[in-house]
Amino acid sequence: MGRHFVISALLVCAALPACARTRPHYGGTLRIETQGDPWQAPDGIARRLVLDTLTTVGDAGGALPALAVRWDSQNADHRWEFWIRADVHFQDGTLLTSDAVAAALDDTCSHAGANCPWRAVHGVGPSVVFTSDSPVPDLPELLGQTEFAIARQDASGAVLGTGPFRVTGFANGALTLVANDDCWAGRPFVDAVEVRSRRMVRDQWLDLSVGKADIVEVPPELLRQAQEQHLNVLMSRPVDLLALTIAPDGAMASREMRQAAALAVDRTALYNVIFQKQGEVTASLLPEGLSGYSFLFPSDQELDRARALRGGATPSGLTLGASDTSAPMQLAAERLALNLHEAGFNVQTAAAGSRQTAALELRRAHLEAGSPRAAFDEMLARFGQNGTVNGTDAAALWEVERGILDNETIVPLLWLPRAWAAGERVRDLRLSVDGEPLLADASVEGGK
Amino acid sequence: MLLMLALTVFGVVAAVGWTGSVRVRHVFEFLDRQQTDTLVGQFQHEFNQRGADTAEAVSRMAASDALRRMAFDLANGGDSAPYLTVAVPLAQEYRLDYLEIVGHDGSIISSLQWTARFGYKEPAIAAAGKPAFLKQEDVPDGSSQIGLFAVRAVNGSDAPLFVVGGRQLDAGFLRDFPVPAGTQLLIYRNVSGPFDAHNFAGATQGVDTAEHFRALVDDARTNGRNAEGVVYVTPRQEDSLSVTAIPLTGAGGDVLAVLVVANSRRSMVEVQRHIRDIAYGIAGLGIIFAVGASLWIAARISRPIEELARAAQQVAAGDWETRVDIRTLDEVGDLARSFNNMTRQLAEQRERLVQTERVAAWRELARRLAHELKNPLTPLQITVENMVKAKKLPKKEFDEVFKESAATLTAEIENLKTIVGRFSDFSRLPKPQSVEMDAREAVRRVVKLYGPALEEKHIELGTAISSEPLPILGDSELLHRALSNLVLNAMDAMPEGGTLTVSATRARNMVRISVADTGAGLTPEECERLFTPYYTTKQHGTGLGLAIVQSVIADHNGTIGVENVESGGARFAIGLPLVEKAEA
Repeated sequence: MGRHFVISALLVCAALPACARTRPHYGGTLRIETQGDPWQAPDGIARRLVLDTLTTVGDAGGALPALAVRWDSQNADHRWEFWIRADVHFQDGTLLTSDAVAAALDDTCSHAGANCPWRAVHGVGPSVVFTSDSPVPDLPELLGQTEFAIARQDASGAVLGTGPFRVTGFANGALTLVANDDCWAGRPFVDAVEVRSRRMVRDQWLDLSVGKADIVEVPPELLRQAQEQHLNVLMSRPVDLLALTIAPDGAMASREMRQAAALAVDRTALYNVIFQKQGEVTASLLPEGLSGYSFLFPSDQELDRARALRGGATPSGLTLGASDTSAPMQLAAERLALNLHEAGFNVQTAAAGSRQTAALELRRAHLEAGSPRAAFDEMLARFGQNGTVNGTDAAALWEVERGILDNETIVPLLWLPRAWAAGERVRDLRLSVDGEPLLADASVEGGK
Repeated sequence: MLLMLALTVFGVVAAVGWTGSVRVRHVFEFLDRQQTDTLVGQFQHEFNQRGADTAEAVSRMAASDALRRMAFDLANGGDSAPYLTVAVPLAQEYRLDYLEIVGHDGSIISSLQWTARFGYKEPAIAAAGKPAFLKQEDVPDGSSQIGLFAVRAVNGSDAPLFVVGGRQLDAGFLRDFPVPAGTQLLIYRNVSGPFDAHNFAGATQGVDTAEHFRALVDDARTNGRNAEGVVYVTPRQEDSLSVTAIPLTGAGGDVLAVLVVANSRRSMVEVQRHIRDIAYGIAGLGIIFAVGASLWIAARISRPIEELARAAQQVAAGDWETRVDIRTLDEVGDLARSFNNMTRQLAEQRERLVQTERVAAWRELARRLAHELKNPLTPLQITVENMVKAKKLPKKEFDEVFKESAATLTAEIENLKTIVGRFSDFSRLPKPQSVEMDAREAVRRVVKLYGPALEEKHIELGTAISSEPLPILGDSELLHRALSNLVLNAMDAMPEGGTLTVSATRARNMVRISVADTGAGLTPEECERLFTPYYTTKQHGTGLGLAIVQSVIADHNGTIGVENVESGGARFAIGLPLVEKAEA
């Protein structure tokens, strides 16, 4: 009996470190490196750490309370009322009020390119009321997008939010954010986050390998390589849509010409080679996992049909540009130009960073929404399209999407995931629905 | 002669200068050709060397472990996608400008120069194992580049990979060439499209003169053979270039690029200009020499001839005593001597002619005097003889005879006095007392004087007198006498009546007065001799009337002539100098 007790005690003692290892620890600094601007909407990492939205998108889709604790719609979704969480303060101690929320949203909507579906927003007591000319059934989920994060500026122009971190400074190329002890969602585990932005992926990986970074980006085309290198990779569902947009004017004013261009693209080559078989081939504005119907849109290359539709016409001066200057996007643009050339189009790729307006543009659109309807509306907004869905089922969505895609101004190509690699000392790191790391929930080994 | 000498000197110098210039041009062209051949030889050598280096690098790469592992992996069903960018580090390692890793089926797995071309076929693998060759490579910006390529297979599996590697034939390739000063070496690429100066790559950056090579490049790439010519970059001769365009062909024999060797002609032009300047200098000196020589020769030859010409003009003007100096014993001296003999003989002949004419005149005068005096003398003789015979008659009859004879004698003597008076008048014709007068007045005076007489003889009078004044310097009395003489002659020529036409008009700087009748006219001999003193066509004329008229007109510095009128009759035409009055 005693021997059994001793053995059991020894086993418990041996298991304790393992338990302690899985339990989050407070303290420490998390170092993350990115290629992009940390304040850039919608996926700037600092923006997400400092600012909150009225709602958040749950893992299964749908809106969850955040700065708004509940919401209600009236007048057939023409009027929405969101009740603001009480006792929430900005990082300078200022109380979050409904007026402050309305002012922040008005400021957001005043920017060029904003996609605000409401006509007016104003604070009424503890709630914020949105009114619109047309029904906005998915407004709660829409307000969970970082584009509609609530922010204000202090007298010095510094951005203040209600998020788990606040900005303390920028030194040696790194933005430093410290934990907001008074965060309404609770204090984050780490004391600080260092964000080193505009860092090449190769350098990020090098920093990760030598312990100078804890979390780094893994572009889809390097996922396979990261796995081969046994990096600790976290990958999201497909959240980035790669699509070719065709301006419906000039040389491509004819729908037949646009259809010919759409039929000329070889999605398989992009998927297999450039993006190393990551994500999914698509001809739909929504990923298959979200809509369930995207397979209905044909995605095969049909060169003969493309040539026939072109009918011998060779539009001159066509330029194909890419929305960002990353190497895979430029490579994909060149490949598409080759595809179009095979179909008889004389297309030149625009130089990386060129500001010239291209008739064809390869764009990458990020998806934050988690439900089909909200995701569809978000994609329409991203590509500047309008569409009214009559109904809530997938068939209604498909009908509207087919109508939009039949115009051949948007040619969806691939849905790509987002992925991050974490160092050994990072614990409990998860990704949001749209593939961004949830740093407030993560901790680092060696903290308090 | 001056011109001849100058032209001769100029021609000789120009011929020498031209010959020198052509010779210099030939020499420079020969040197240009040699230099071009040397450069082309060096280019070919470098081309072959670079080709061998490229082939060696590609061979080493094909034999590398990395590619052998890759070939093994793919041959065993491995995915080619992860190898998309493998060409980049391999090209850096083996220092290649172009690199494509091609699968056994000819599909590109990885391309350095155009990454997006994965999956497309690369036909160049047919040249696997062959020496390096020239190849045109398309790049994403739509242009084409030229490179030296080699293709090697990566062995080690049943399905080999192919390595298509190359190095660019660009400005850097040419920059290593030891190009002499004044020479440009350029490569024209993208030969398939229309000429574009931007397709040039050359050792000299900024090919500003490229556009001028268009014709030669087009010729070389179209015909596939060398094209030579002179290119003028600017209108200045010294900015011209001797250009040779050499087509560079690929493995299939098609022209892929054109090598352009351009030698500056500045040195040749400067030498030619130097020769020309020297020729101009010599020509100038020659012309100065020619002028001096000509002046000297003129002094020796031309001047005596000019003197002869001048003397001849003097002789022609009536100076029969003109003589020239005989200064030399040559042909010119003989000519002068002959001239002097000629003028002397002419003077002697003229003197003899004058004497002959003078004798003839005296004879004519004697004949006329004899003729004139003979007529009155015969009645005088008969009358005197009658008076001698009558002395034997009774006094009454004698007195009657004496009275008649005395009357006859008186009449005949009066006749003799008249004859003698006429001759005396001719010999004592006064000099005109010229004053400015209107010639129309003299004409009108005569017409008015003889108007009634003309009517009596049934002669119609026609006048054509200018409405403008006809001022002359003349003696009105003498002119009246002359014109009267002409009118009387005309009346005599028309015994049966006719028309007398008198006119006075202005002809340039002369006053022309004509008196025309409609009589029988004159014979050619009469026309010629009519103004000769004592020549007359009348039965009882003295032959002095028209001579006096001619003398009067001559004294007024005028001229007189006679001609037959086609419609019949004769016309006397007088020309007198018009007095030009200065403009007020």
